[in-house]
Amino acid sequence: MVAIYYVMIVNVLYFTIMGLSYRSISTIARRTKYSSYNTLSGSELVPPVSLLVPAYNEELTIIENVYCLMTLNYPTYEVIVINDGSSDQTLSVLISEFKLEKMANPDIRGTIETQNVRGIYHNSDYPHLFIIDKENGGKADSLNAGINLSHYPLISSIDADSLLEKDALIRMARMYMENPEETVAIGGDVRIANGCLIENGAVQKVSLPRKIWPMFQSIEYLKAFLGGRIGWSRMNGLIIVSGAFGLFRKDYVIAVGGYRGGYPGEDMNIIIKLHRYMLSHKLPYKVAFCPEAVCWTQAPDSYKIISNQRKRWGRGNLKNMIENRGMLFNPKYKVMGMITMPYNVLFETLNPYFRITGLLALIGYTLLDMTHWRILLTFFLLNFLSGYLLSVGAIVLEEIAFRRYKKLSDLWKMLLFSALKFVGYHQLGVLWRVQGHIQYLRKNNSWGTMTRQSWKEESKAA
Amino acid sequence: MPESATLQREKGTDIYYSLGEHLKEKSRELCGVLFLHCGDCGSPSQLKDRIRDFLQHEPGLKPEVQQDSSTQAIAVLLPGLTLDATHYQALLLKQHLQDTMENVEPRITLTVFPGQVEPTPGVLRQMAESTRLDISSDIHIFTRGESIQTPGRILIVDHDDTVREFLNIRLQMQGFETLEAMDGTSALELIEKWEPDLVLTELNLYGIDGLPFIHQIRQLPIESTPKIVVLTERRVEKTISQCFQYGVDDYVTKPFSPVELDARIHRCFH
Repeated sequence: MVAIYYVMIVNVLYFTIMGLSYRSISTIARRTKYSSYNTLSGSELVPPVSLLVPAYNEELTIIENVYCLMTLNYPTYEVIVINDGSSDQTLSVLISEFKLEKMANPDIRGTIETQNVRGIYHNSDYPHLFIIDKENGGKADSLNAGINLSHYPLISSIDADSLLEKDALIRMARMYMENPEETVAIGGDVRIANGCLIENGAVQKVSLPRKIWPMFQSIEYLKAFLGGRIGWSRMNGLIIVSGAFGLFRKDYVIAVGGYRGGYPGEDMNIIIKLHRYMLSHKLPYKVAFCPEAVCWTQAPDSYKIISNQRKRWGRGNLKNMIENRGMLFNPKYKVMGMITMPYNVLFETLNPYFRITGLLALIGYTLLDMTHWRILLTFFLLNFLSGYLLSVGAIVLEEIAFRRYKKLSDLWKMLLFSALKFVGYHQLGVLWRVQGHIQYLRKNNSWGTMTRQSWKEESKAA
Repeated sequence: MPESATLQREKGTDIYYSLGEHLKEKSRELCGVLFLHCGDCGSPSQLKDRIRDFLQHEPGLKPEVQQDSSTQAIAVLLPGLTLDATHYQALLLKQHLQDTMENVEPRITLTVFPGQVEPTPGVLRQMAESTRLDISSDIHIFTRGESIQTPGRILIVDHDDTVREFLNIRLQMQGFETLEAMDGTSALELIEKWEPDLVLTELNLYGIDGLPFIHQIRQLPIESTPKIVVLTERRVEKTISQCFQYGVDDYVTKPFSPVELDARIHRCFH
């Protein structure tokens, strides 16, 4: 019976969040269409931003990405690439492409402890590009080093395997400028670039991935970002801003001590810390989500890599929950403490165990002949239908507001794969999460390999 | 592909450039110049030899015959001839060609230096072009009026289709020759091949950012760097001053007044 209640609560919550997303979507759609981003992108009044790009073994994609980042429609910004002690040619390809020279007297003003910085490279022909070369210390450590060098009051973390749309940053800045006092962080919409045609460091033609793993992830991301995060941000209970693309106020990031090193899940960690800091200092604040600011990322396309990634996420999530267990059901932390954190613990972190016990119970009941097969079937069907409805809901949101996927065949394909997701992919997700938790208990703390493909091969294949 | 294009360009400009230099050297002496082009009448080099043979047999002429491989036009220098003498020779030449070959319609443009126009490579190229595009079989005398009629080539670089279309139509109606480019990298290729007199560019471009783009234009291996007018959304003062440091000729911000833009473009040409 517990399992049934669990499923019911989970679905009620999911649908509430989705409902909130729907309430916001018309505003978002109008904002996307009618805001004059072009004029803004040249305005003196837009706050300058430092883009931080941690790079570890990214020699294949880094040049393309830096070019992409240097041609954003944004008045004043700088790009800081942090080479995290890569073992490949990341640093030297950057130096030779941009003819960089080591700065004699770099001006590092920051206060956060990081690994030893070996040097800072710069070329006056590209005045807004800086490369930090440092000893390996992980992604969080790289971001901290970037914060130390950054010259501007806003920072934005961007993965080196992601491409920003030209307007992405200005769209985020617009949202920030609506409420610059209270907005401490803004997340962007992350989409899967596999299958899209990429030229000149920009996504030229949007279409769905051809391979099966990225395809599932496309729908998963769509569901998480459009169906989930829009709703969560509406009640200011957003627990994560994707590490692939987010904008932060530097003063508050420094106030909470920067990114936490030594463990994956630093993107969720920084947001929890910001919530915690703002709430315990009784400051009004907002963690916003900006679905029209789009960042295209490369999804892992083989079982091994995706399972590694998911195990890492499971591990990071568990670690963050344990570290911040004090916030759980603590009225001081408002929405965060009463809804988001419990939701996360019960339905994200512990989700696999409920599912497994539920399944075991069902099997047990059936073996003991306590349930009729009809009831069992309706149970499965209901479960499937509610899940499918959520996916379809996200696709409808996409169609209302953004319509990135222009082809009708892509739409059918998305609907089909939303259904196929329940056969196998979901179960694997549960498995990976459990494996992640096991890794955590064994204190296995590696990042795991993420192999990259050159964007060029990607667009050729498409 | 780009390599062959540059090769062609070098040959193409060489002839006008060298002709221009040649004419400048003897700026005091009269020199008739005519360009001849006939649609499809056998191989151009044959035609060239034929013309040379004919002109060499005329008394008192020291003709120089050259050929431009890109426009297929043949350039003839007739040192010491006045305009009417050049015109007379052109008539004879035309008659001769029509007598000796079948189905030829030679089209001829001519002028004399020093005369109404300066012998710049641009003017010479324009003469060759107008010979090629001429439809009447009358011999055409190139005058000052014409060289002003087509004031120049403008390359429009902007990502926005609407802006490009608007500028394109407006500038063409004013008699400019225009081409469009969507992004910085293709614009750079076009500048090298087409050698516009002016580049009208946005700074928010794909492929390459505005400032490095301007920097690269100035470093292209072309004879005369085009004038650069920036038409952009960006209005940050630092960017504007940087642009002028990089040597742009004018800076107009969007939303723009078309009349003002016209005035600024015209000022760049004079």
